[in-house]
Amino acid sequence: MKVVVCVKQVAALGDEVEFTDDERDVDPDFLDYALNEWDTYATEEALRLTEASGGEVVVVSVGPEDVEDCMRRCLAMGADRGIRVESDEKLDPIQVARALVEVVQGESPDLVFTGVQSADAVQAATGTALAELLDLPRVAVVTKIELGDGKATVSRELEGGLVDIVEVDTPALLTIQTGINEPRYATLRAIKQAEEKEIDVRQPGDLGEPAYRVRKMFVPPKGEGAEMLNGSAADVAQRIKEIVEDKKT
Amino acid sequence: MARDPKYDILFEPIQLGPKTMKNRFYQIPHCNGFGSEKPMSQAYFRAMKAEGGYGACCTEYCSIHPESDDTHRVSARLWDDDDIKNLGLMCEMLHEHGALAAAELWYGGPHAPCMESRAVPRAPSQIPSDFEHLTYPKEMDKDDIREVQGFYVEAAKRAREAGFDIVYVYGSHSYLPQQFLTPYYNKRTDEYGGSLENRARFWRETIEQVKDAVGDDCAIAVRMSTDMFMGEAGTQLERDCLPFVELVDDIVDVWDINVSGISEWGEDATPSRWYPSGRLLPWQKAVKDVSKKPVLGVGRFTNPDLMVEAINGGSLDIIATCRPSISDPFLPLKIDEGRLDDIRECIGCNICISRWEIGGPPLICTQNATAGEEYRRGWHPEKFDPATNADNDVLVVGAGPAGMECAMVLGKRGMRRVHLVEAADDMGGIMRWIPQLPGLGEWARVVNYRKIQIDKLKNVEFIPNTELDPEGVKSYGAEIVIIATGGYWSTDGLNGATHDTIPGADASKPNILTPEQIMRDGKEVPGNRVVIIDNDGYFMGVSLAEKLAMEGKQVTIMTHLGHHAPYMHFTLEAPNMHRRLHQLKVEMVTYQIPTQIGNGGLTSVHAYDEEHATEWEADAVVLVTQRRSNEALYRELKDKVGIDALQSEGITGFYRIGDCEAPRLVADCVFSGHRLAREIDSDDPETPLPFKRERAVIEREAVLTA
Repeated sequence: MKVVVCVKQVAALGDEVEFTDDERDVDPDFLDYALNEWDTYATEEALRLTEASGGEVVVVSVGPEDVEDCMRRCLAMGADRGIRVESDEKLDPIQVARALVEVVQGESPDLVFTGVQSADAVQAATGTALAELLDLPRVAVVTKIELGDGKATVSRELEGGLVDIVEVDTPALLTIQTGINEPRYATLRAIKQAEEKEIDVRQPGDLGEPAYRVRKMFVPPKGEGAEMLNGSAADVAQRIKEIVEDKKT
Repeated sequence: MARDPKYDILFEPIQLGPKTMKNRFYQIPHCNGFGSEKPMSQAYFRAMKAEGGYGACCTEYCSIHPESDDTHRVSARLWDDDDIKNLGLMCEMLHEHGALAAAELWYGGPHAPCMESRAVPRAPSQIPSDFEHLTYPKEMDKDDIREVQGFYVEAAKRAREAGFDIVYVYGSHSYLPQQFLTPYYNKRTDEYGGSLENRARFWRETIEQVKDAVGDDCAIAVRMSTDMFMGEAGTQLERDCLPFVELVDDIVDVWDINVSGISEWGEDATPSRWYPSGRLLPWQKAVKDVSKKPVLGVGRFTNPDLMVEAINGGSLDIIATCRPSISDPFLPLKIDEGRLDDIRECIGCNICISRWEIGGPPLICTQNATAGEEYRRGWHPEKFDPATNADNDVLVVGAGPAGMECAMVLGKRGMRRVHLVEAADDMGGIMRWIPQLPGLGEWARVVNYRKIQIDKLKNVEFIPNTELDPEGVKSYGAEIVIIATGGYWSTDGLNGATHDTIPGADASKPNILTPEQIMRDGKEVPGNRVVIIDNDGYFMGVSLAEKLAMEGKQVTIMTHLGHHAPYMHFTLEAPNMHRRLHQLKVEMVTYQIPTQIGNGGLTSVHAYDEEHATEWEADAVVLVTQRRSNEALYRELKDKVGIDALQSEGITGFYRIGDCEAPRLVADCVFSGHRLAREIDSDDPETPLPFKRERAVIEREAVLTA
């Protein structure tokens, strides 16, 4: 059984933020990078399934050489192979899906996993776009997977603690929710071994036109609205009382 | 990051007499164990706070004359020209960072037992000290008064020559000027006793004389206790303090405001167990309301919002800190740079104070392992040299205080990868449950600070829910392995009193329990009557007594000593602890050695009379007898697996730190982890590098031929 897990290196804001000259993005000097939190859970789920029934976990990502750091975290957890599609550009979810489709198809996987969303762009669209391009059934926000014969019974997380149970034919693409499992940690040995592993690099095909363009990125201006109440708990409580009394009259 | 504008007031300069202080951060006079006779340690210690942004730093209490000799405790001294040279270094280093230097001129009277100088202290009336019970003063006549006032003047001149910008006429904590002011100490019937004007006379004259001598060059500070909480006999706010402030306000440049006397000065240097930050604000405000001069004072302030409120609310002009400056000398700078979550907050454990109380040792700090080590070991709290062997991966087993500190410092020293692996679901170890004892919530800051720092370190990964066995450690893939698996309370009653176990002591039984079984594991304390066997000497026994009594149990606590929790006298927590346990009707029993524990209770004999046995009924017996190291993992790796086998796995360094080496104070666990991390690239990291000792070294030839 083969599971392909699509992972992303996401950016996190540091303590200070400055923008690029064109004001359309954060200056990369002010960003920290890490593996997308959802992808850790997706990788763990893939490992559990293949450990139970035998098989292979292949980790795939799109980006410059830097993103291999994140891929190696997945390899350190136990993923077998990594494939990176080279790209230096900022891509929208559909372009990413286009970049991935050839590689994923080439693996003929039983299951394709993505995270529900990425922590930086938060579009929650790449998995669905990829499923469409692969012509695979897609279930989103998955919190439990039970494999059957040519199908899977899958739980989806809804609002208010409700769970939707769906039966889907495999191969299928599932977008994985955090909390589906408890991801394992990689020992230093595993991390070192993952460093040595070669990651297969492919060139992207035609990624097409972007579906949208960022016009401007900025920090929203601070409004006048909030009065900060400082001091000890007793002082703050007194001030709140005064404000409430004030508003009443 | 930038300073939050709401803290701007803390960075406004302020005039103190002829001097300008660059901001509102003031390191109050406090002891460090260095005095004038360890001048390098003294200067480096104080200068670190100036580097950290403090606008002024003070000496500890600074003796003006050999008659004020507090040996065995360590004060600074300004007795002669050599003292000027020694303390001059401190002034120079403070000035380099733009901070003012202050000397807290002190004459102790009978509280200073003069055990080195063998001089006789003088005092307003001849009553032995309520702090040093064997010391009697000479009762001062007018000549004595003139002479001692002259000591202040000469000392102030020496202070000026050393480079001090501020000189104190210090009375707080029941020292000489305050002794004159206070009926408890002053039974005089001449013009120096009786009415408030008379009782104030000595202090007022001394301030006048000091101001005459140095007031053009130095700011004159007066440190006063506003209320000794002793009723009519002690200094009282309305009757004595506020009128005194009004009387001398014109000639004082800055007020330093305390409460309490000396025998219970924990009411002033408040442990977090009993008081929150800012306890003194009402008294400080009372003084500020009647004074036209700047008012400063302490309150265990760690939170900049509270500091701003204290100033904006009219209680203080200047925020003084002692313990928060020890736990983080860089508090001002971190507020200035908007790095609030980098502030290493004081936990109010008073371990620092306990070292002065013991008499002799240099201070230590639970939160800041570098406190006191600035010169001795060259440690800087914010600077960490990259390790020369940084190209190594480190496994730290156990995320208690020692493990967290070690992993954090290794991370800051740039080790390639550090894995901090913990069996439980979160960091903290023993400091997860100790702060859950009554009153100790602020002690959790030990964990909070390190959690935040470790989270920021990209080369340190925290791995919970993972218990490593010897094979797991061996094959983990680290080049350096550090075992930090902590300790546990003895389950068989092994104790330092008898050096033996207690017959019948077996904490696997439901009616016999240890502290962590109760606090960490949730083991039920059966029934109603509890007997705690306490041979520990610090807080564990009495804290559990308090907790269980609060839960409605009938508690007896017994110790082999004549005193419960003697170390808590040094941390200033004891008086209120006794009040609290008395209020909770805890039965406190001394001089008892348990001889047999049964199902319904235990038997004990008197420590000095084996024939005198007592039977105690108990539904539950709690063993607080002694701690042991959790050294099983370390021992298996070293003895069974063997160093050779570890080396063939690529492990070039194998160490242990903290309680799993030997149980100790949390402050010492943090130190243990810190030291190993600082010295991880020495030739033999297991052996601490020698530290600098300030001492006279004799050149034999020179002495013999002289």
